[in-house]
Amino acid sequence: MRPDPRPQTNLAAEPHGAARTTSSGGAQQEESLSAPLFHSLVDRLGDGGRFVLLDLASARPATVRLLSQFRCRYEVAELADAIDPLNAEQDPRRLRSIAEAALPARRQEPTDIVLCWDLLNYLNRPALTAVMECIAARGRPGTLVHALVYYAARQMPERPSSFLPLDENRLEIVPQNVPLRAAPRYSPEDLATCMPRYAVDRARLLRNGMQEFLFRI
Amino acid sequence: MFEMSKKGGTDKPTEPTMRSEPTVRSETTTARPSAGREHALIGASIHIDGELRGEEDLLIEGEVNGTVQLKNNSLTIGPQGKVRADVYAQSIIVDGFMEGDLYGSERVAIRKNAQVRGNVTSPRVSLEDGAKFKGAIEMDPQAVQSATGRNKPAQAAAPAPRPQGSPQMAPNPGASSAVKSAT
Repeated sequence: MRPDPRPQTNLAAEPHGAARTTSSGGAQQEESLSAPLFHSLVDRLGDGGRFVLLDLASARPATVRLLSQFRCRYEVAELADAIDPLNAEQDPRRLRSIAEAALPARRQEPTDIVLCWDLLNYLNRPALTAVMECIAARGRPGTLVHALVYYAARQMPERPSSFLPLDENRLEIVPQNVPLRAAPRYSPEDLATCMPRYAVDRARLLRNGMQEFLFRI
Repeated sequence: MFEMSKKGGTDKPTEPTMRSEPTVRSETTTARPSAGREHALIGASIHIDGELRGEEDLLIEGEVNGTVQLKNNSLTIGPQGKVRADVYAQSIIVDGFMEGDLYGSERVAIRKNAQVRGNVTSPRVSLEDGAKFKGAIEMDPQAVQSATGRNKPAQAAAPAPRPQGSPQMAPNPGASSAVKSAT
């Protein structure tokens, strides 16, 4: 990972989270998380310029409602459908092809912002590298990636969760009744190795044990 | 000539430009495009390949491949409907399967049972929880206007083909032209 000219990493626990703890019994409880780095992204969207925003997860009404206030093109990858084939592939070239096919087609207009809510936790290292390389190829210098990664939390739901923006400050985790599994707990160093084209712009540890990252190409 | 069954209104003659195989009447529908408004119906057993044009609201419960142009009217893809086409209409409601680009000069609504793969361009877009959507939603008013506003009536013609294998939005200069307000 390139050295970040403006390192502002803050791993202090997020004090304003209204999280209720994720149970260890499988049923995930509704959580509302204060996400300050997400807030900074929404602030940026309000600048008045046009943005191309890529969401790696599913489109949700709350996200559409929030983004409809801004001048943006909202692209939805629904990458969860490709997790299993990505993780199963060993060959780097074929892995890259799967990642390319799972993402929206490349366009002349570069992607400005990427919402990567929870997906990184479900990709193994080669798959993570392939996906983020393909995303970098759609971006430009300055493209921001907002990611949520299980870091302090040892367990996570078996499948990726849905996150809804409640407002420009808070994200809600949609509860799902699925078993828990061990979280890979990717450290910033792990991510730096897997994502060499990205620098950590800022990071915050949220109350539910997730690390909120803002990466920059 | 394709025959369409009427729902909810008077029996005005209907002559949309459609090429199809057998004409099968079907009254089976669960979706209601616009309460109280007359609409034509493509029933569940009907399969159309080609260009579909019309001057009235339309409910599709069958299968349509090609292009759909209802520039001054609304289109509903019902729960049984399967559309693989670029669609140009004033208002578009998707409650079934849709693959292609959607241009709604007024609005596009994606219902909870919908499966949509393609790009949406419209000043008002709504999406219900549970809908499966993969593609892009153009939310930039300027981009929406340029995509729909450059369609002049004199240019009205078959939409330009999209680049092969590209799901990118390909605004068509002749497709959703002469958009009028709903009455």
